[in-house]
Amino acid sequence: MPKTLICKRSDVPDNGLKECDMQGGLKVLVANSGGDYFAYQAMCPHQDVPLCEGLYDGAVLTCHQHLWQWDIRTGSAIGLAEAPLECFKVEIDDDSIYITAGGDALDVGELFSGIADSTLGSIKALAQRQEMQAGGTLYGIGDPADDFFILESGRIEFVIGRDDRTSPAGFMLRKGEVFGWAALLDSQPLRIAKAKCIEPSILLRINGKAVLKVLESDPAAGYAVMRRLSSLIARYLAPSGAK
Amino acid sequence: MKIQVNARNRAYQFDVAEGQRILYGGLADGIHLPYECGSGTCGTCKARVTAGQIDDLWPEAPGRKYLKQSGEFLMCQCTARGDVSLEVTNFVYNMDPGACLPVAGRGGVCKPRMLTHDVIAFTIELAAPCDFDAGQFMAVQVPGVTGYRGYSMVNFEPGAKSLEFLVKKKPGGGASEWLFNSKVDGQTVELFGPLGSATFFPSLAKNLLLIAGGSGIAGMMSILSRACQEHYFDQYGGHVFFGVRTMKDTFFLEELSKYRGEFPQKLSVTIALSDEDPPTDAKGHAGLDFDRGLVHEVAARHMKGKYQNMRAYLAGPPPAVDAAIRVLLLEARLTADNIRYDKFS
Repeated sequence: MPKTLICKRSDVPDNGLKECDMQGGLKVLVANSGGDYFAYQAMCPHQDVPLCEGLYDGAVLTCHQHLWQWDIRTGSAIGLAEAPLECFKVEIDDDSIYITAGGDALDVGELFSGIADSTLGSIKALAQRQEMQAGGTLYGIGDPADDFFILESGRIEFVIGRDDRTSPAGFMLRKGEVFGWAALLDSQPLRIAKAKCIEPSILLRINGKAVLKVLESDPAAGYAVMRRLSSLIARYLAPSGAK
Repeated sequence: MKIQVNARNRAYQFDVAEGQRILYGGLADGIHLPYECGSGTCGTCKARVTAGQIDDLWPEAPGRKYLKQSGEFLMCQCTARGDVSLEVTNFVYNMDPGACLPVAGRGGVCKPRMLTHDVIAFTIELAAPCDFDAGQFMAVQVPGVTGYRGYSMVNFEPGAKSLEFLVKKKPGGGASEWLFNSKVDGQTVELFGPLGSATFFPSLAKNLLLIAGGSGIAGMMSILSRACQEHYFDQYGGHVFFGVRTMKDTFFLEELSKYRGEFPQKLSVTIALSDEDPPTDAKGHAGLDFDRGLVHEVAARHMKGKYQNMRAYLAGPPPAVDAAIRVLLLEARLTADNIRYDKFS
């Protein structure tokens, strides 16, 4: 994304929010947190509610519809929220606020956000960008689980079962979502579902063992990633807690 | 007819009868499909048809304003014309094994009684007893009015044979007009429930803050009833704020006064009057406090510094609930999971 002016500093109230319209219809939410500025997706990832209508105290942003919350300095999910916010890099020049880059899927991703830049850099270096046509299959049941994937755009559906007795087993549609995470588990597991692209999709494909090696050299990041991985897996097993 | 729901985490299958609302079919099967009002206003049960045909029972439902893409519909307002596959973008789980499974039923209206000039209370004698959790509501369909409306239960008892409700008069509101203008005593109504997740269990082990505007007090009475039955306020604090316009809009004062009398140490009840000063002579309302202001303002004033270990329940007109949420998040610093309400708009 080229460096783009989104608004003036004076447009964003102290510890307040402003929704900005960009060319091409993109909307960006700018937040002022004690004089620091952050830019995020303008709509709630839950049900497309404008986040500028939310509750904001300068530190935590709450969508007023279902009380999903985010840390305004990182965009990471707090409490009831099930997804982080997509973040844009911000540059301040005098009174002008620019965004210089859309969040990379790895930065937005629920698995790696917040770990040390150098470690994230090593993981980024391992990622291969893969473009898929609608209808393409990423992997089938029983295939070796070497790589995991981070969704950049598009939509992936999973199918379990054999031959003509199959059943859908969920889908991925948010930028930064991680799947094929069996590749991050020990003992070389095999795929238990078929992953199919329903729309033209862009993915980051990353080798699981190579990432584990990187994480071994940064145990703090490794711990954070494994904690997130386990809560991510748990979401597929059981309720995340009574509402 | 078979319904297949493809959710973010997995797929579910269940059967619906002809004319049965898809949401109700799934919930009755123990699948916790997304919903809040269950009656066409909140938009939470939005889904998208991927195969098959549906019929929309209420094309003018206000909740349809949340539908954006083609093929989207409200599960609470639509029935299947044959087998249907649909998709919801939420994570969906089976209901908790301890949950009261909602079922379709019917009952007879009796004892309609005016509580104020514009609030009516009535009882529904159930054809079959029903378990529900304190704070839950029932979707009720009255004769001659298409669609269900959600009304919170006032009473609480396991295996209830009758349910108590109250409804505020809403000119032009079909179900409300029927209740206020017809000979409703003895009439049969259709029910689906219990519904709603703003529920209270004594195992919560937190102080309670109940903030209700107008007829929103219904579910709070159920919570109070359960808490008092189980002597919850021997150990935990309870703070009730009940907002109405003027003294002539108040009701349930006797019941609230009785609860307060049972637990004078731990339970407080404040009536917030938005449009007039509190009475100088509050005789006959032993133990109740009166204050002037909107209910969220009065609650904020009285509760300052007393939010430790607190769980809040909110109900009432949407602007009152929104204002209370703002106070509880930004001033009281309650976490979102300790603010419970069911959205009806």
